[in-house]
Amino acid sequence: MATSETYARWRTRLVPDHIVGEILSKNWIDNAIPVFMLVLAICVFGSIIPNFFLFGNLTDEGREFGELALVVLGMTVVLLAGGIDLSVGSTFALANFVTLALINWFDWPAGLAIGCALLAGALVGLLNGFLIGYLRLRAFLTTLVTLIVVRAIVDTLVLSYSSKVVVPLGYSAFWEYLSYEDVYGVPVAFIVAAVLAVAAHVFLTRLRPGWRILAVGGSRRSAYNAGLPVRRIVAGTYVLSGVLAAAGGVFYASRLGAATATTGVGLEVAALTAAVLGGVSLGGGRGSVTKALLGAATVLVISNSLIQMGLRSGTNTLALGVVLLVAVAIDVKWLKNRFKLLSRVYVSPAYFRLPPRPDATEGSGTPYALNDRLRDVELIGLGEIDAAEDPILDIDDHLDFGNRQGDIIRYFGPDHKRSEVYAHVGGMPLGMAFDKAGDLVCCVAGMGVYKIARETREVIKLTDETNRSWLSIIDDSRLRLPDDLDIAPDGRIYFSEATVRFDMHEWMVDALESRGNGRIICHDPRDGSTRTVLSGIRFPNGICLAHDGKSILYASTWSCTVERFWLEGEKKGRTETVIGNLPGYPDNINRASDGNYWMALVGMRTPTFDLALRKPGFRRRMVQQLAQDEWLFPQMNVGCVVKFNERGEVIDCLWDRRGVNHPMITSCNEHRGYLYLGGIVNNRVGRYRIEGADPDFTNQGSYWGSGK
Amino acid sequence: MSLRKLVITASAALGMVAAAGVANAERPDDGQWGATAESLRGKTVAYVPIAMGFDLTQAWAAALEHSAKEWGFELTIRDPNWDPAAGVQALSQLIDEKPDMIVVQPADPQSYVRLLKKAVDSGIRVVEINMKSLTTTDAYVGADWYGIASQGMDLLHNYCAKGNGQSGKIALISGTPTNPGMIIGMQAINDGLERYKDDLELVANQSADFDPTKAHAIATTILKQHDDLCGFYGVWDGQDVGTAAAIKEAGKTGEVVLVSSGGGRLAAACDNIANDNFTAYLSYDGRGQGRDLAAVVKMLLQDTDGTPASSPFGLYSPVTALTKDNMDGACWTIDDIKANGP
Repeated sequence: MATSETYARWRTRLVPDHIVGEILSKNWIDNAIPVFMLVLAICVFGSIIPNFFLFGNLTDEGREFGELALVVLGMTVVLLAGGIDLSVGSTFALANFVTLALINWFDWPAGLAIGCALLAGALVGLLNGFLIGYLRLRAFLTTLVTLIVVRAIVDTLVLSYSSKVVVPLGYSAFWEYLSYEDVYGVPVAFIVAAVLAVAAHVFLTRLRPGWRILAVGGSRRSAYNAGLPVRRIVAGTYVLSGVLAAAGGVFYASRLGAATATTGVGLEVAALTAAVLGGVSLGGGRGSVTKALLGAATVLVISNSLIQMGLRSGTNTLALGVVLLVAVAIDVKWLKNRFKLLSRVYVSPAYFRLPPRPDATEGSGTPYALNDRLRDVELIGLGEIDAAEDPILDIDDHLDFGNRQGDIIRYFGPDHKRSEVYAHVGGMPLGMAFDKAGDLVCCVAGMGVYKIARETREVIKLTDETNRSWLSIIDDSRLRLPDDLDIAPDGRIYFSEATVRFDMHEWMVDALESRGNGRIICHDPRDGSTRTVLSGIRFPNGICLAHDGKSILYASTWSCTVERFWLEGEKKGRTETVIGNLPGYPDNINRASDGNYWMALVGMRTPTFDLALRKPGFRRRMVQQLAQDEWLFPQMNVGCVVKFNERGEVIDCLWDRRGVNHPMITSCNEHRGYLYLGGIVNNRVGRYRIEGADPDFTNQGSYWGSGK
Repeated sequence: MSLRKLVITASAALGMVAAAGVANAERPDDGQWGATAESLRGKTVAYVPIAMGFDLTQAWAAALEHSAKEWGFELTIRDPNWDPAAGVQALSQLIDEKPDMIVVQPADPQSYVRLLKKAVDSGIRVVEINMKSLTTTDAYVGADWYGIASQGMDLLHNYCAKGNGQSGKIALISGTPTNPGMIIGMQAINDGLERYKDDLELVANQSADFDPTKAHAIATTILKQHDDLCGFYGVWDGQDVGTAAAIKEAGKTGEVVLVSSGGGRLAAACDNIANDNFTAYLSYDGRGQGRDLAAVVKMLLQDTDGTPASSPFGLYSPVTALTKDNMDGACWTIDDIKANGP
């Protein structure tokens, strides 16, 4: 083996290239930049400022963080709905003044005073919301005006009454508590902000109103067309923002007890900077509570550090302005380039070496030798059928298969001339089998495993998730590409998931990786549980219960092997290779009436692609530098059908030499003396008469007894 | 290297060694100097003004810096830039850093109270400069705001009293209303109006927030509304230049009285008196305050036995009413303080 090949093999084994793309494909990767910014700010200021890490006074930081976080949360909600709220600073100041005036001057109970302050904030928000949501005014200008108007009101009040407001008349235990006390060293403002942050997170990610806000921000027109009350939702976000800004003002009042004209001045810049720096998009629809909090923490670190550094007047505002500018630039660039980067690095080819191909040329004398026995198949539904991946026949001779539209099509037996949509599942139905009750169980790509009840045709979800593996970065608990299934005598459903890294429409890209992204999963209908049984398989595809019911056979397409997994007996839980080196890529496996197995080879191997599998660097460069339609894929234009026995010996082979009817075969199903052939890119189902086959053999009979 | 250069270099090096020898030599102790120098050296003093952007705070900083350099203590400056929240943040950080002393100028009576108490409790000496919060710390160094405003009303009475044949109409353009000096000063003004209620009439009372632009706008309006206005009472020179400009634009310089007050910096006080912008000026002498402040800081730093704020004292600045007649030599410049000390 050449040195470069050894290197490639070890690199594949040791360097998990694929996780880069998986990390980039995560939604939380958007948080990477804000986390980096926060860490950077802490590192930079930590190294400049000698006493930076002196956090003996975390409680005061916590109070301030609480106030800022509340305002930023409100700003975030508005930004998520596609708006902007510049009036938060003024609302903050108004709430501060109202709280102090009612408590110190009018001697109201603190609770009532706080309620009034929040109400004042809500009213400012309602004004914004009414103007922007219902009258459709521009958010930027409208809130700029509210900023000025409310600020003017606060200024007037401060001018006339501030000296009365700052000196308390009475004593309120609750207010004192809010102002000075900590709960185990954690200031109340911080606790309130934390609780509200969790609530806001649940609200935005788990509740309908939150989803609606995101929907409106993501695409206002689509949200409207989907019937959402867009105006009300937009108005609501401003009310929420007003209330949260007011809550920040209340805590500011409790912390400082001062009503000055400078209260909350420039807060809108700080809040906006925090939100955008955190990665909340100015364009709407993208952002989260975590992002908002990260941004708030960064802004606080920066502004407090600048005070601590003793920089002279104005530096703080300048610094925040620069940070805002950088954050907006990153926001735009990141949004634009993230998916470009992702598409460049996601496909991560691995080293894989196949044994030399068995000869399949005509007259070679091997069991795979090319012939033309499929030349004269009968054709069913020519031109009507689309993507019959795994045609199956029931006991009444009806022919069922899925199509690209998510339907299950039925051709009525025995002549298969007429058809109907048997059921609509959605997704893309692939492999099928009948269970003991005669219900059709079906793997649906993009969705999971579904059952269509025989009598009612009701579509029932059996499972759409399995256990999450701890070390997987992508969420492999969701079923992405369930491919084929078979049912054990005890009712357990074993199904293959071809790959966890690619969707149905790019299943062939998985071949470029040949990494072993697939798995075998078992669903137990008795308790509804679903567990992954085997993983790390190169595109597990067809799956078939052995005739004795004690093991399952499965095809690993990119490995060109057939494996056996023991369900019971002394080898229970073990896997062994049945056929170690096929000349093509195996697909669905089904029982044959003579105690053997039929298997479709979806395509035949080529020397070029076999060589490419040994050159992961070549495939990586290809993926990164060429357009997808110029990539080298495995050959999928010519395939055949093979029959093999329990020992893994190939005993028969059927070809369509002309490649007219069945160039690519994904499935072959024996039924009453005939073999029914399907192809995922074919427009027909073929019917081939098997010489000497049992004319009464049906799959349902073979599995569940002829009585059914 | 030529011989001449070598000689010069060598003699320069020798000279430096000699000079260093002199500096390091034990200087005679009069019995007090050594202990004073010892207790001041290496101490840390933090200075938190309202903002660094005006003459008074810069004069005090220059005075403190001068002393710090002379006696070897360390001065750190935190600038909240008019934002009480930033000031609170700065104080919180300082309390963590535990300097030996904090010199603070509160922006309002309430905001810093809790933190100043906390600082004192954690063993930090606290001096309040020119503005007094609601709590009492080691020392207050600064103006007597009641006295100044009271004196200002007296002056205005002299200029504008109806009994002296004037209209008696005066206007007040005040500063930030929550400023501690303003709160106390307003009481003196109200008391003065009560005292002279037969002679003076307050026709306008507005706040310019210590902002000359606002003062300019307000004064312009007042002058238009009250054609027979006799005088303005201003509260701070930095703001009152706006009022003076409005008077000048109205062509009433010398006709409408403007009584201002402040720290007495040359360009802010004496120059404005000289060019008739200000009729009279109450100076609480920022340079003297700087000297007082530096003295108090040095005294308290040497008092290593007492607990902070256990025996508070006040050092109220003397006030001089400056007019064209007595202003010679009464004003100062920042550069002078920096160069020669307070």
